[in-house]
Amino acid sequence: MEASSPAAHAGTETHSAPKRSWLFTRPTAKTGLVSWLTTVDHKKIGLLYGISALFFFLVGGFEALLIRIQLAVPNNTFISHQTYNEMFTMHATTMIFLAVMPLSAAFFNYIMPLQIGARDVAFPRLNGFAFWVFLVGAIILNIGWFVKSGAPDAGWFGYAPLTNKAYSDQFSGDMSTDLWIMGLQILGVSSVIGSLNFIVTIINMRAPGMTMMRLPVFTWMTLFTAFLIILSFPAITIALVELMMDRSFNTNFFEAAAGGLPILWQHLFWIFGHPEVYILILPAMGIISEILPTFSRKPLFGYPIIVFSGATIGFLGFGVWSHHMFTTGMGSVATAAFSLMTMAIAVPTGVKIFNWIGTLWGGHLQMRTPMMFALGFVWMFMFGGFSGIMHSAAPADAQQQDSYFVVAHFHYVLIGGSVFGLLAGIHYWFPLIFGRKVSEFWGKLSFWLIFIGFNVTFFPMHFLGLNGMPRRTAVYDGNMGWNDANLVATIGAFILAIGIVVYFAVMIRTYFKGEMVSIDPWDARTLEWSLPTPPPEHNYDVLPTVHARDAYWYEKTHKAEIAKEHAEHAKTESAHGGIHMPSQSWFPLLAAVGLLIGAILFVNHLFLWAIIGGGIFVLAVYFWAAEGPGGYHVHLDGDDSHGHDKH
Amino acid sequence: MSLPFTSRSILRRVASCAAVAAMPLFLGGWLNWLTGPQSTIDVAGPVAKSQLDVFYVTVWVTGIIFVLVGGVLTYATLKYKARNAADEHAPTPPQSHGNPLVELGLIAASVLALVFIAIPTLKAIWYNYDVPAAEKQNALEITATGYQWWFKFEYPSEQIDGVGPLTTANELVIPAGRAVSINLRTTDVIHSFWVPKLAGKVDMIPNRGNHLWLKADTPGYFWGQCAEYCGEDHAVMRFRVIALNAADYATWLANQKAPARSVAAPDAAALAQPISAPYTFKNPGPNAPGWSAAFDADPLASWVKQQHPDANENPVLIAKGRELFTAKTCVTCHAIRGSEGGGAPFAPDLTHIGSRSTIAAGLLENTPQNLHRWITRPHEVKPGNKMYMGVPMGGGSVMNGYMKAEEGRLVPNISVSDDEAPALVAYLLSLK
Repeated sequence: MEASSPAAHAGTETHSAPKRSWLFTRPTAKTGLVSWLTTVDHKKIGLLYGISALFFFLVGGFEALLIRIQLAVPNNTFISHQTYNEMFTMHATTMIFLAVMPLSAAFFNYIMPLQIGARDVAFPRLNGFAFWVFLVGAIILNIGWFVKSGAPDAGWFGYAPLTNKAYSDQFSGDMSTDLWIMGLQILGVSSVIGSLNFIVTIINMRAPGMTMMRLPVFTWMTLFTAFLIILSFPAITIALVELMMDRSFNTNFFEAAAGGLPILWQHLFWIFGHPEVYILILPAMGIISEILPTFSRKPLFGYPIIVFSGATIGFLGFGVWSHHMFTTGMGSVATAAFSLMTMAIAVPTGVKIFNWIGTLWGGHLQMRTPMMFALGFVWMFMFGGFSGIMHSAAPADAQQQDSYFVVAHFHYVLIGGSVFGLLAGIHYWFPLIFGRKVSEFWGKLSFWLIFIGFNVTFFPMHFLGLNGMPRRTAVYDGNMGWNDANLVATIGAFILAIGIVVYFAVMIRTYFKGEMVSIDPWDARTLEWSLPTPPPEHNYDVLPTVHARDAYWYEKTHKAEIAKEHAEHAKTESAHGGIHMPSQSWFPLLAAVGLLIGAILFVNHLFLWAIIGGGIFVLAVYFWAAEGPGGYHVHLDGDDSHGHDKH
Repeated sequence: MSLPFTSRSILRRVASCAAVAAMPLFLGGWLNWLTGPQSTIDVAGPVAKSQLDVFYVTVWVTGIIFVLVGGVLTYATLKYKARNAADEHAPTPPQSHGNPLVELGLIAASVLALVFIAIPTLKAIWYNYDVPAAEKQNALEITATGYQWWFKFEYPSEQIDGVGPLTTANELVIPAGRAVSINLRTTDVIHSFWVPKLAGKVDMIPNRGNHLWLKADTPGYFWGQCAEYCGEDHAVMRFRVIALNAADYATWLANQKAPARSVAAPDAAALAQPISAPYTFKNPGPNAPGWSAAFDADPLASWVKQQHPDANENPVLIAKGRELFTAKTCVTCHAIRGSEGGGAPFAPDLTHIGSRSTIAAGLLENTPQNLHRWITRPHEVKPGNKMYMGVPMGGGSVMNGYMKAEEGRLVPNISVSDDEAPALVAYLLSLK
C-alpha cells in the first residue's frame, strides 16, 4: 500500500533540536503495533474506530440472533428469562453505543478532514484519546459476560427504580448495573471529546475557499451530530452520576421508597435519548447525500434546504423527548404539545427525502453497490418515517408504545436508515481507504440478502405490535396469534445474518485480493477523491483551494486553473518550512488505561483503590500537557509539480 | 424502437405478475395476524376505538403520501437508471442545483398533511385522558397496583367491614357498558396497565398518581399484560379483564364480598384415611404453556363455569389442604378472608382464588394440573418469582419464600411435595 503513495520518497525531520528526557521522546514508528497505539493520524484512528465498531456490530448481531431464536416459537426454553433480559439490554446498548455511533465516528475521523481539505483534526492527541476512552467504555460494558454477576439486564434505557440497588441486587450481590452505568458514562466522555474536536476542526481547519455553504453535506451532518452530542450528553451524564450516587453512596435521587422520583430519570434520559436518535441517523443521511449525487452524476438537489433541514432536525430533536413518555401520564396539554412537536419534526425529515428524489431526477443513475444501499436507505427510512408519524399521534401511540410496532419502527430507521447508510459508506469509501474495489456481483448480492432479510424480519413486527405483543418479553403463549409472524421474523433474521456474513466476507476478500483502483474510481464530487488511494499520512501535498461546492468536480472541470494554483501554493508552503505534521504520543493511551483501572475498581466498590486509576489518569494527562504538542515537517522531494493532481 | 421482449424481460414480467397475483394471499395472511386476543385493531370499547380511529387516520395520510412519494421515487429510479454502457458513458446531465418553488411547495404540502393528523389527535388526547363528564357520576372506581410480577385490584366503593376495600388479584371484573376509572399505582418498579382491546396503556410509576379510564361495550373476556419492562418476569406478568352485565356483576360482587367459602370438614376417622389424588400430575417442564383451546373457544363461558363449585370435590382432601395451607406457612402472606385470616399486602388475596380463571398472574388456566405445577414448582413456571425467592422487605431483610438465604446461598425453606399438592389444590379450588 505504501508504494502507491506519492509521498513514498518523502523525507522527514524532527522539529526539536535540544535533546529531551526519555519520558518525552515522541514515538515515531510508522508501522507495527506501536504506530497504532500511539497514533494521532485521523485516518488510523478512523480505522481503529471502524474495526472496533464492526466487531461490536457482529457481537450485537449475535445477541439479536439469540433473541430471535428464543422467540421463534411460543413458550421456548432456549434461553432463560434472565439471559433474554441481558440479551436485549446488551443488544441495544451495543448496537447504539458500540456499533453505530463509533462507526459514524470512524467516518467523521477518516472522511471529514479530507472533505474540508485539512491535514488532520484540530487536536490530534485528543482524537486518539477519544478512541481509547471509547474502547475502555466498550470493555467495561462487556465485562459482565465474563463475571458471575452477569451482563447488564435493566434495559438500555435503564428505567429507575429497576436500576436501584433494591431491585437489581435483590437476591445477590450484583455489579451488572454498575458496569452499565460506568460504561455509558465513559462512552459519553469519549463522544463529547471527539465531538468538540470535530467542531473545532470544521470551524477552524477548512481549506481556503471552503466556506460553510460549500461544505460537503457529510461534513455538515458531522457538525450537527457533534453539536447534538455535546448538548445532549450532559443530560445523561447527570442522570448517570445521580444513579451512581444512589447505588454507591445511598443518595435518594431515584430511590422511590425514600421519596425519590423515578420519572425524573425518564426526562433526563430522553432529553439525551431523543437527540441520540438523530446522532445515529444524521451521519447516515450525510453519507447518503454524498452517494446519491455521485452516482446520479449531478449535484445534490436543494443543498441549502438539506443543510437547513439537518439543522432543524437537530434543533427540534431537543423538543420532542417526551414522545417516548406518552404513557407516563403527563396530562393532556404536555401530551398534545409533544405530539405536535413530533409531527413538526417530520417536515424537515420529509424534505430530505424529497431532495434526494430531486437529486435522482434527471440524472444518470449508476447502479453501483453503494447506490443500491443508498436507495435502500431512502425506501426503508421512508417506511420508518411513516410509522414514526403514527407514533407521533399520542392516542395511537398509547397502543403502540412498548409493543413490537415500536420495535419494527425503530429498526426501520436504525437498520434501514443508519446501518444501510453506514454500509453504503463503507462500500463507497473503501476504494479510497484501501485502494481496492468490491466486486459488483458480490456487493449487490450482499445488498439484496440484507435488504430482503431485513424486511422479512421487521415488517411482520408491525403486525405483532398491532396484535398486542409487548416488547422485552422472553416468552409468549401460543394462543395469542403471534406464532406465524414471530417464526417469519426469525427466518428473516437468519437471512439478514447471512447477508451480513456475505458483506463482511466480501470486504475481507477485497482487502486482500480486490480489484485495484486508482484515484477517483467513482468520478466523485468532493475533495477526498482528489487524493491517491490510500491517502498519504499528510493527506494533501498541497492544500487545496476551494472555488465551489462539489470542490473536486470543479477541479476536474477547471484543470488548468487548478494546476497553476497548486504550483503557487506549493511554493508558499515550502517557503513556510514544508508540511507540518503532529507527533505521535503514548499519553492518550496511558490516560485511557488509568481510566480503565479506576473504573473497574470503582465498579467493584473499591473506592479508595480506584484512586490509583485516577492517579494514573491524572499523571498521564500531566505528562501529555508537559510533552507539548510536538510536530515535524514533511518535505516532498524534487519538483513540487509531482503532486497527485498530475493524473 | 426495438421490441421490448427479450427472454430476460419476459421472465421478469412473469415474476412480477406472479408477485402481484400472490399479494392478496399475502395480505390476507397478514390480516389474520391482527385478530388475536390482544389485538389493537379488533377493539371492544370506546377508548380503544378512539385510539384506533386516530391510527387509521395516520395510516391513510401516510399511505397516500407513500403512494405519491414512492411512485415518484420508483419512476425516477427506473427512468433515469443507466441501463447499458452507452448510458454509463453519456455526457454528464445538467448540473442543476434545485428548485426553491418545488421545495417550498412540498414543505407546505407536508405541513397540510400533518394538520389532517393533528386535529383528530388532539381531540382523542382529551377524550382519552379522563371519563367524559356525562359518565362521571356513574363511573366505577378501581385501584390497580403493580407488584413484581402480578396485579392487585381494589374496589374502593365496595368496603368490607373491618377489612377494607374488596381486593382481588390478576382478574379485574367490571360491569359492561359502564365507564371504569382506574387509579394506577405501584409498590416497587414501573409497570404498565394494558388491555389492548379496551384501552391503550398507561404506566404505573412510583410516587406518581396515574390513572386511565376504559369501558367494555358488551360483556366479554379480555387479555391484558404488563407493558413496561419490570425485571426478570416481565414477560409473564399478565392479567384479565372480565366484563359482565349488570346483574351478573352484582352477583359476582356479592360473592366476592362474602368471606371465603367453607366446606364442612369430615370427621377425624375419615380424615385419617389415606386418599389418592383425583388426577395424575404430569410435569410439562419449564415455560410450558398453561392454556387450552377448550377454554379459548368461549373464554367468558369458561370463566362463568369457574364460578361454581366442582360437583366432585372431596371434603377430605379439602380439609387436609386447609391444614397444609397453615402448616406450609402460606397463610403468612396470602389472605383467605374469613377462614384463615392472615395475609400480607404484598401477596395476592386468595379468598376466592377458586373462582378465578387463571393463576400465576394470568399465566396459567386455573386447573388442578396447573395449580399443582405452580405450587410445587413455582420457579419453573415463573423463574425468580417472589413466592419462591422471598420478598425483600427493605433494609436488607427478606420475608422468606420457598427458599431462604443462608451464608449467601439460597437453600430450601418450604417445599410442597407432589403427594401433598393434591390436597392444597383441592382446598384452593374449593374457594369459589
